[in-house]
Amino acid sequence: MSELQLTGVRKAYGGLEVIKGVDLDIKTGEFVVFVGPSGCGKSTLLRMIAGLEEITSGDLIIDDIRVNDVDPSKRGIAMVFQSYALYPHMTVRENMGFALRFAGVPKPEIEKRVKEAANILELEPLLDRKPKQLSGGQRQRVAIGRAIVRHPKIFLFDEPLSNLDAELRVHMRIEIARLHKQLAATIIYVTHDQVEAMTLADKIVVLRSGVVEQVGSPLELYDDPANLFVAGFIGSPKMNFLKGVIEIGGDGRAYARLPDHGNEKITVDPKGLKEGMPVTIGIRPEHFKEDGSASLDLAIDMLEHLGGETFAYARHGRGDLIVIETKNGRGLKSGDRIAARFDPACALVFDEGGKRMR
Amino acid sequence: MRTKSTNILPALFTYGFVGLMAFLSVFPFIWMVLGATNASIDIIKGKMLPGEALATNVANFFTLVNVPLVFWNSAKVTILATVLTLAVSSLAGYGFEIFRSRQRERLYSAMLLTLMIPFAALMIPLFIMMGKAGLINTHIAVVLPTIGSAFVVFYFRQSTKAFPSELRDAAKVDGLKEWQIFLYIYVPVMRSTYAAAFIIVFMTAWNNYLWPLIVLQSNETKTITLVISSLASAYYPDYGVVMVGTILATLPTLAVFFFMQRQFVQGMLGSVK
Ligand SMILES: Nc1ncnc2c1ncn2[C@@H]1O[C@H](COP(=O)(O)OP(=O)(O)O)[C@@H](O)[C@H]1O
Ligand SMILES: [Mg+2]
Repeated sequence: MSELQLTGVRKAYGGLEVIKGVDLDIKTGEFVVFVGPSGCGKSTLLRMIAGLEEITSGDLIIDDIRVNDVDPSKRGIAMVFQSYALYPHMTVRENMGFALRFAGVPKPEIEKRVKEAANILELEPLLDRKPKQLSGGQRQRVAIGRAIVRHPKIFLFDEPLSNLDAELRVHMRIEIARLHKQLAATIIYVTHDQVEAMTLADKIVVLRSGVVEQVGSPLELYDDPANLFVAGFIGSPKMNFLKGVIEIGGDGRAYARLPDHGNEKITVDPKGLKEGMPVTIGIRPEHFKEDGSASLDLAIDMLEHLGGETFAYARHGRGDLIVIETKNGRGLKSGDRIAARFDPACALVFDEGGKRMR
Repeated sequence: MRTKSTNILPALFTYGFVGLMAFLSVFPFIWMVLGATNASIDIIKGKMLPGEALATNVANFFTLVNVPLVFWNSAKVTILATVLTLAVSSLAGYGFEIFRSRQRERLYSAMLLTLMIPFAALMIPLFIMMGKAGLINTHIAVVLPTIGSAFVVFYFRQSTKAFPSELRDAAKVDGLKEWQIFLYIYVPVMRSTYAAAFIIVFMTAWNNYLWPLIVLQSNETKTITLVISSLASAYYPDYGVVMVGTILATLPTLAVFFFMQRQFVQGMLGSVK
């Protein structure tokens, strides 16, 4: 059952194209997260879905109806804004009931729905306060409550947690995940924070400069990124990238020679590879294991002991820093020389253009 | 010791300067109040003490002037001008800031340029226009030229820059049309801006003199400023009576300012926090 479809959606401001043809299919009840660096067009795309920004070309379909030219309030969506955008002159109760009042919903019904939402969000004691008298987290909840009372088909969130402090952010993240289950609602959520994306999403849409780079579940994107950008964007600490040159052996096996690592050779899947081809090898920090068959000769630059695990930042000679995650790194010291071993099967290969070879 | 004396000098200078300025602005008020209690002849002689002529002066003022009619005229003109100016000019300032386009920016610049044209240059063409429209000697003629105030439009446009655009977005998602966003969101959110503009426009309208002097010709339509000035320019002006009139004419603006002082300061500092 598809709730929302985008086909060939574009947005241009004058001559400047900021959304460059987006195709997307969102199913009922899905939690979809748009993620990408700041300025990539996430908000613009969300605002186009909301009807706050005109669609230059392409189709936006909600429930099998093309809604490109439908008024925002008639699209069955509700939006939670980054600044919360609560009406400062109204109480929490009035803020939440405002849209319903304009839609001509009878008073008792408004009362009922506001109560319901206040109950879900634990806002009852605050109903008669003005936004000015609320903390950041409380305003956030009112903004969500204002969306809930409208019983929308789709909730839109634009970086809703970015104005909260770190602790509250984690709390509200859990709150939103719980809400998604409780309301069984379709949610489209914008963030530049890949941790938020990973923890909340059923489906992540990675955007870069107005183009969808990849769509998939969090673990799909993590394990199987389509390109260098997604590989580097998803995961924290970031995936390590090593320069390599392909060499094809007489037996048809392929190796990536790493010129920055003393010409260490690692075995790679030969599919699509040619002799002399420049590639990028990607290895995640946690893929370094003592029993791996490949090995990098590194000197430790710096260590981060988190208790459970240790992140070692190491380099070969004057090369780029490589991050290694290890469970038994308590004995390490900076300056130590180590052989960082990994299983070459875990290494991802990207061609010169950044496309994943597989 | 030394450092102390170098610190006191500038402070003395500051206090002296501020004191002088305060005296200069308060003195006319004191003189007005004292004058109302003295006979005209004493005022001319420069008497600066309270006298006993207050009751006579008040009585004379009320016989010379049809007070209810004159105040009614002033109130009517002022309320009309204030309400219309605030409505029209705030709408324009909001529009210029929110719905930008190159043509509108040009129009806006042209509008600001009109601030540099002195009223004296507009008086005659305006008078001819009002004559052709058959509006001479009407209060509408007094009010009409003031309601599209370039200054008030400018003030509202500047204040609108602090109006969060996400509030407009939220209102659109909530189903409000443009005019409803203006009426139900913008106006209440910007109320301290409106309060500050209200005081300025109210005072300007109440004290307006030159244009009403030209366009209002019969005694039935004249406002308080015109009447006082005609008292003062009589062959033998009674300054005691003039001072009584001036006090009465000052009261409404004083009242407005005292009641709205807090909002005025807030509005001047920017209304959206
Ligand atoms: N009204 C506008 N006029 C011109 N360019 C705009 C406008 N709004 C956004 N942009 C541009 O569109 C791009 C995407 O913006 P946005 O969607 O806000 O990015 P994000 O939310 O991903 O940080 C940015 O490069 C921004 O400069
Ligand atoms: Mg954004």
